[in-house]
Amino acid sequence: MKEFENLKSQWENQSAPGIPPDGVEQISEKMKTLRRKQWLTTVTLSITVLVLVAFFFFISAYKVPVVTLGLLLMISPLVVRIALEIFSIKAIENMDVSTNTSKFKAKIVGYYRNRIKIHFIATPFILALYITGFVSLLPSFKANLSHGFYTYIQVSSVIVLFVLGGLIANTIKKELSALKQLRDRD
Amino acid sequence: MKKAKNPFEEVYQANYSKVIRICMGYVNGDENLAKDLTQEVFIKVWENLDTFRNESALSTWIYRITVNTCLLQLRVKKRTILGERRDKIQDEIEEFESSEESQLKQLYACILKLSEENKGIILLELEGLPQKEIATITGLSHEVVRVRLHRIKNSLTNCVKNERI
Repeated sequence: MKEFENLKSQWENQSAPGIPPDGVEQISEKMKTLRRKQWLTTVTLSITVLVLVAFFFFISAYKVPVVTLGLLLMISPLVVRIALEIFSIKAIENMDVSTNTSKFKAKIVGYYRNRIKIHFIATPFILALYITGFVSLLPSFKANLSHGFYTYIQVSSVIVLFVLGGLIANTIKKELSALKQLRDRD
Repeated sequence: MKKAKNPFEEVYQANYSKVIRICMGYVNGDENLAKDLTQEVFIKVWENLDTFRNESALSTWIYRITVNTCLLQLRVKKRTILGERRDKIQDEIEEFESSEESQLKQLYACILKLSEENKGIILLELEGLPQKEIATITGLSHEVVRVRLHRIKNSLTNCVKNERI
């Protein structure tokens, strides 16, 4: 145990960063920035939904059942996915960080389990609906758009799908690893 | 006339050093990551200060928030901590550090290998907190903390002695 005491004394004598003189102001600023960001996110999401709804009426999509269905199949899963993401962020924000570590750890493990369920059950379902909606719209795109733009939509959609898939896979990997680390015993 | 400190500022000044050192233990001694984490801790302290009910010492309550916030950082910073930092440390050790400095870096690397729960326990011990307070923070019984600490101290000492990072 003497060796541990040596380590402890080295720990105690290490040079740690000093207290920043403007630390409290920095914290106050960071909190303002965080609130501004939350507000911006809400505004951006609301504008996106409004634009989509406006677009829906602008092109009179409601007059063509196939287009209506296609757009609904694309937009609704996106809205659901965004809502799930917002719920997840809120769940983390609302966790009581002042509770004891064992309880807190159990809560984070629960949070990650829910996230894994979202990734492995909800996301594939959402993605399938989105792709179905997109594919069902392709004939309408072909009939109403120029050949160049139609090709652009096809190619870009595949690229977007791969990029999105990569991002989702990366998040799943990170969260699975965090869950594993939290569940590791001594 | 000297401006009076607000209550948060006093809390901040009194606990900053301990909080940042605990955070450093979670991020392999990386000062910049530890500063970010410490800032996050004090944001949470600020947001929750009015919910503090004097059921424990204020510092105990702050250390709970510290350990819990550090647990949450697993979500975002893992690769940076495990990858880049370890490589950097390896280079630094090999170059020109005194044996004490290199031993401290090894201690950080060995702490990083512990389970998340044990990491919290040993960091609080290294900061000189009594076992009873560690038990209050972690939610484990005093007896469990005592036994765990004995085991962690042994494995840490062996790790620092035997392992090159």
